[in-house]
Amino acid sequence: MGETTPEAEPRKLAEEARDRVRFEEEALDLADQVYRVARRLVSSREEAEDLMQETYARAFRAWRSYTPGTNLRAWLLRILTNLNIDRGRRQQRTPDLRPMEEGDYFLYNRLEEAGDSDEERVDERLSQDDAVGALSAVPHDFRDVLVLVDLGDFSYADAAQILDIPIGTVMSRLHRGRRILKHELAERAVGSEA
Amino acid sequence: MALSFEPDPCAKCEELLQPYLDRDLSDAERVQAEKHLDDCSYCRKRYKFEVELRRFVRKAVVEEMPPDLKQKLAALRTPLL
Repeated sequence: MGETTPEAEPRKLAEEARDRVRFEEEALDLADQVYRVARRLVSSREEAEDLMQETYARAFRAWRSYTPGTNLRAWLLRILTNLNIDRGRRQQRTPDLRPMEEGDYFLYNRLEEAGDSDEERVDERLSQDDAVGALSAVPHDFRDVLVLVDLGDFSYADAAQILDIPIGTVMSRLHRGRRILKHELAERAVGSEA
Repeated sequence: MALSFEPDPCAKCEELLQPYLDRDLSDAERVQAEKHLDDCSYCRKRYKFEVELRRFVRKAVVEEMPPDLKQKLAALRTPLL
């Protein structure tokens, strides 16, 4: 009651400005990590750069809706993935109907069949381009989860919140996404018919 | 129904492998997976492969942010009055 003194308003403004500057600095400190995820959610560097700029412009405008002390990187990536979806990317969605009965050891088994007994030396059998190409061949819905969890180190719960999908969907997409990735890697490593 | 069949421990291990690597198992499941990996060279070899594969993919697909992008992002900050 009656706390609005003539001095209170400038003090409030100064506090808000300080909070905003702190928010902006923390968000910028995370830009490298956010970019690494963003880069693999889209196909080109240009797209990733545009998406980053749109994300940060929106984040700086909406900074008051961020709750200090919560996961800022997840908050930024939620904005980024929403913007990415808003761009109409989902129109390109194609269901992946390949059978995946062979399970999680598909790539291992293909390499073993190809006669290399030294299966652990993954980096001798696959190049960096193989990995980039294989990941970009994974359909978007699966790749989003794969990138957030495996590259971004987000928990299943964080990935569910970022993508606004149930945690069970995160787990099933991750499971299938990894299998698709292994099929794509197998094609590149041993020319499998997968 | 397959209720009377003895579960295949290697199939169970494969089922637990990805959540194990994600550290997303209950304590009981984690102990079960670790015990099996200790005892089974078939699964241990595949487990090592999966660890190596994740490490490789993670490293291979990383692309660092172009240096000038950070400046562009910083320019989006609200100017101080």
